[in-house]
Amino acid sequence: MSAPEGFADPVLLAIVQKQLDHISKQMGWVMTRTARSPIFSQSHDFSCFLGSRDGEVLAQADGIPIHTGGGGFAIRAVLRDFAGDMADGDVFILSDPYVAGGNHLPDWTLVRPVFLHGALVAFVCNRAHQSDIGGGAAGTYNSAATEIFHEGIRLPVLKLMERGTLRRDLWRLLLLNTRCPELMEGDLSAMLGSCKVGAERLASLLEELGAERAEACLAAVLDHADRRLRAAIAALPDGEWVGLDGSDTDCFETRDIPVKVTLTKRGETLRFDFTGTAPQIKGFKNSGIANTYSAVYMAISSFFDPAIPRNEGTYRCVEVIAPEGTVVNPRPPAPMTMNTVYPAADIVHACWKALAQAMPERACAGWGKTSYGISSGPDEHGSVFVMYHWHGSPGTGAVLGRDGFHSMGQFTTLGGLSLPNVEVYESLYPVRVTQQEIRPDSAGPGEYRGGAGVDYACEIFVPTEHSYRAEGLGRPTGFGVNGGDFGAGGSFEISIDGGPWHVAPRYGVERCGPMRIRIASAGGGGYGDPRRRDPAAVRRDVADGIISEAAAQRIYGLAAESSARS
Amino acid sequence: MTQRLSSPWRIGVDVGGTFTDLVLVDAAGQVLPFKSPSNPADPEAGVLAAVDLAATRLGLERRALLQGCTLFVHGSTIATNTLLERKGARVGMVTTAGFRDSLELRRGIRHDPWNHRAPYPEVLVPRSRRHAVVERLDATGAVLTPLDEASVHAAAAALAAQQVEAVAICLLHAFRNPVHEQRVAAILRAALPGVALSLSSEVAPVIGEFERGSTTVVNAFVAPRVVPYLQALERRLAEDGLPHGLLLVQSNGGAIAVAEVAARPVQLVLSGPAAGVGAIRFFGRDSGSANLIAIEVGGTSCDVTLSHQGIIGMTDQLEVDGHHLAIPAVEIHTVGAGGGTIARRDAAGMLQAGPQGAGARPGPACYGLGGEYPTVTDCQLILGRLRPGPYAGGAISLDLGRAVAAVETHLAVPLGISVEAAAAGVLRLVEQTIQHAVEKVSIERGYNPRDFTLIACGGAGPLHGPATARAMGCRAVYVPRLAGVFCAFGMCNTDVRQDHVRGWLSPLDNPADPDLARMRTAFAELRAEAEAGLDRQGFAAADRRFVTALDLRYAGQQWPITVVVEEIAAAPLRAAFEAAYQQLYGFLQEGGRIEVVSLRLAVIGGLPELALEVAADDAAATPVPIETRPVWLDPVHGVRPTPVFDGATLRPGQRIPGPAVVDEATTTLLVGVGETLRVTGADNYLIEFAEAADVRA
Repeated sequence: MSAPEGFADPVLLAIVQKQLDHISKQMGWVMTRTARSPIFSQSHDFSCFLGSRDGEVLAQADGIPIHTGGGGFAIRAVLRDFAGDMADGDVFILSDPYVAGGNHLPDWTLVRPVFLHGALVAFVCNRAHQSDIGGGAAGTYNSAATEIFHEGIRLPVLKLMERGTLRRDLWRLLLLNTRCPELMEGDLSAMLGSCKVGAERLASLLEELGAERAEACLAAVLDHADRRLRAAIAALPDGEWVGLDGSDTDCFETRDIPVKVTLTKRGETLRFDFTGTAPQIKGFKNSGIANTYSAVYMAISSFFDPAIPRNEGTYRCVEVIAPEGTVVNPRPPAPMTMNTVYPAADIVHACWKALAQAMPERACAGWGKTSYGISSGPDEHGSVFVMYHWHGSPGTGAVLGRDGFHSMGQFTTLGGLSLPNVEVYESLYPVRVTQQEIRPDSAGPGEYRGGAGVDYACEIFVPTEHSYRAEGLGRPTGFGVNGGDFGAGGSFEISIDGGPWHVAPRYGVERCGPMRIRIASAGGGGYGDPRRRDPAAVRRDVADGIISEAAAQRIYGLAAESSARS
Repeated sequence: MTQRLSSPWRIGVDVGGTFTDLVLVDAAGQVLPFKSPSNPADPEAGVLAAVDLAATRLGLERRALLQGCTLFVHGSTIATNTLLERKGARVGMVTTAGFRDSLELRRGIRHDPWNHRAPYPEVLVPRSRRHAVVERLDATGAVLTPLDEASVHAAAAALAAQQVEAVAICLLHAFRNPVHEQRVAAILRAALPGVALSLSSEVAPVIGEFERGSTTVVNAFVAPRVVPYLQALERRLAEDGLPHGLLLVQSNGGAIAVAEVAARPVQLVLSGPAAGVGAIRFFGRDSGSANLIAIEVGGTSCDVTLSHQGIIGMTDQLEVDGHHLAIPAVEIHTVGAGGGTIARRDAAGMLQAGPQGAGARPGPACYGLGGEYPTVTDCQLILGRLRPGPYAGGAISLDLGRAVAAVETHLAVPLGISVEAAAAGVLRLVEQTIQHAVEKVSIERGYNPRDFTLIACGGAGPLHGPATARAMGCRAVYVPRLAGVFCAFGMCNTDVRQDHVRGWLSPLDNPADPDLARMRTAFAELRAEAEAGLDRQGFAAADRRFVTALDLRYAGQQWPITVVVEEIAAAPLRAAFEAAYQQLYGFLQEGGRIEVVSLRLAVIGGLPELALEVAADDAAATPVPIETRPVWLDPVHGVRPTPVFDGATLRPGQRIPGPAVVDEATTTLLVGVGETLRVTGADNYLIEFAEAADVRA
């Protein structure tokens, strides 16, 4: 979709763009207000977005960074399967990352076409993480999966609602394939409601504009975003740079799994070529193509000015090459439920590293990778509680002018997910947290240092099923940039039934008796040469115990008498 | 001007960044507004200057003005400014061992994930001044590890060496049991004479160590700056004749005596804007609607407040400049849309308005104070909605030439459109921002804005009111004559109010009932404490009101809902919770387990409500315009010759068909095509819409 020559109403353009953003936010309000699962009302693990009639994402003001732009794959799958068979009041549902433009199976996407005077003009969509979709483990994350079939029900593009009438047979099929049918029924209803409101609002905006002008305006919104990113890219020198990140575990054994990207910048375009990336792996950390694009888009939008819009017009000047059979574009039936976290983080990191070489002053140091787990078990009332040990989150990377943030939630939400209070957790779950404190000397050294990890310790009083995610264990993961260094690697130890402490498994699920957990979370990377750090800032870090006296002298070059004075 | 006042009178003083607004309401219901420049360097002098200005205009001495005043209510930005300018005390902190960093980790909360290059504001208490003591309570408040007093003495020695002026004490689960915090305070009081102590169990006894600790720290930080100022001002006003104590507006919209707020000055952070509550309550009666949404548009921002069936939304989660505060406050949604909001062209040729503003200095380009960039006020001037020349008694003067030059240079030429089109575009964008803010406060909570009347206030609000209301489907816009001194007026119609919150946590449905019995006892204790406070302030029994509420949630959920209740019994509590939950979320968990998270008691000392004077209709007299000038009305009608009326000449019952402009003492109104302005019985304005006037482009 491209605007006709001569569309130049900067006022209308601004108003339409803001209104599209606002409609996607309103859809989000409806969703938070009416969904049942706390995952939506409290953690906001969903995204509402609007698409052009050609399937380009027009607006996604509501949503999490790792969903950016990936929704276009879903709309285009609907167009592919149902072109010419769509009517006002239809709603499609899909999830499969191989055949239906999904990102991973737990995220179910509703796509509702919007019509004006009988013609298809746009789409409204809601992508939301379901509480349970069957499969080998409750709660959608089956770290034992070796095929997508182990991860839950797969949805191709299906017509869930036909001209405003719900397909009851399909509805029953969906609810039969979850361990929590009541939650799902409420959540799907909320998703339908949010799409209905979005469709009404969008139709009324387009009606107001009139068909012809509406088309021109929507095209102009995409074109404007296109111009914004092109202008930002044009400021980079032409060239080719390689970024390398990856993992050292396939969820079952230790091995090297590189994510390699070659970035080529020519004129106003960027090409991200993942040739050289590891073949797909046994465990559930493979990234489907939609998720890979989202991760690349997230890397770009977090690297450049955040004021640049984030619709699919933005990324027209971006080419992604993801060779089939690799962890960034696996062949079926590779499992992939973990992909919105890993390898998404590896992909973003690799892209950041390449971009940093093109424009060092905007370089972003790496965020430490997570080592934590999820405990689930019966609470005192016999219901099942699920507790994410978020308190052990790692530190983030530094950028020019700002130190990294200490322990912060989930990289692929860019910290959009906040950490709970200890007092709240202790009131909800049979646990006691005994420490959550800045971990000394974990912050990656730099002129702007990385964020520190934390020392986190917790006691769980009842038997639980514990699911491990120790990606950031051992080797350092929060890389430094422009002369900055890595943050410290993480450690994760457990003691079950009062037994001796031992290193936790990287991935997998264990049934445990009452246990203790001890996590030293990874630190974020530093930016720039640590010897250029403002000595006053170094002295303050020493006084604060964030870096030790010895590190201050050895790494930051602080004179002994200077730090002693603090 | 010399005016006859009927004694006694009330005075509200609202100190803003640029102006200090003073409103005097006399016994006959006469309302007199005054605007005087603020004095940020010496706030006491600023308040006295406003008092002197009013006295001079009224032909009185300061003493006579104060002596006749029975209620002097002050909204002060001093707590907020102390925080914003980071000019508070040198604070130390005492925490539970293992949890020294809650304040600095901030739960990782960041509102705009994409803007990850922006740093957090610097922590108010650096890690080196945060000291851990050995102790531990469990989630019920029971002692797991007794307080190790040696560790407290060590902390005290360190704090003494660090020369702190104040200490915030926040121990884990202290909201359930203050015993360890109190003992720590006793030891510190002995060891650190003259150092002010703030205890989390007193300042904000609610669950959540981060927010409770942050609130306690802010309290400790502002107290040594705020409390002496308030005490000095109160002393000064008393010396100069004020017969009663000074009252302050708190963030909850209620007033409080200086002596009562001295221990918890953090409650003053929204002191100014929260006073709008008193005005909304007052104008609700005149507007004829119980459902009101107020937009208060000033120089830099637009504050939106919703009142449904006469009840104004409250929140416990405030954020001021990145500092989280768990104090009961009026829920005010603020967006960057005001007269000083700057418009620009972005890198790819799109018009943008805000959120950056030009502030009071340099302000809009047309002020001629050095502002270079075009603002909303410049656009209003260009479009004829404001007239060039002096405003606010000559405090500022609007220069059309400068406005045109700014819009031309920065918008019209680069965008390739006319100056008028650019100015009109800026207004449409700002009105869209305001509309989105109004939709957020209503739709997000399950209210339909079509069921509300919009109150447009603040100096810049009434020009945006009709367009905003129309876009949302509201039927009418209400404009108080004193729109420009809305909050100062609200201060004259306030009650004394103190909100008590106690963290709790127990199941609601306990067949054996010990929890309900414990709750009743706790409420009785709170109430006895409150009654003693009202005794001290001399409130008669008939003027006392108590509102009992509980924060309830379904077991396992993190977010509670506040429910007002008459009696502490399981069945009515469940019913009230379910009704509120249904309104907010649209469904219920039938028979779901409900937990009590905290107890709340609002204690209100009622002050006599301002009388709503309703004048006889004077519809017979025909309003006469003072001039007719070209005004840009809306995208459809463009510029039309439009009659301009002097608000001072308009009388209750009169109607003026749009288009028309009304110049008021503190604001300007625009009545569009298809709209009718009516002067209400209480001498304010209501703009009503005829059906189907399409003003959209």
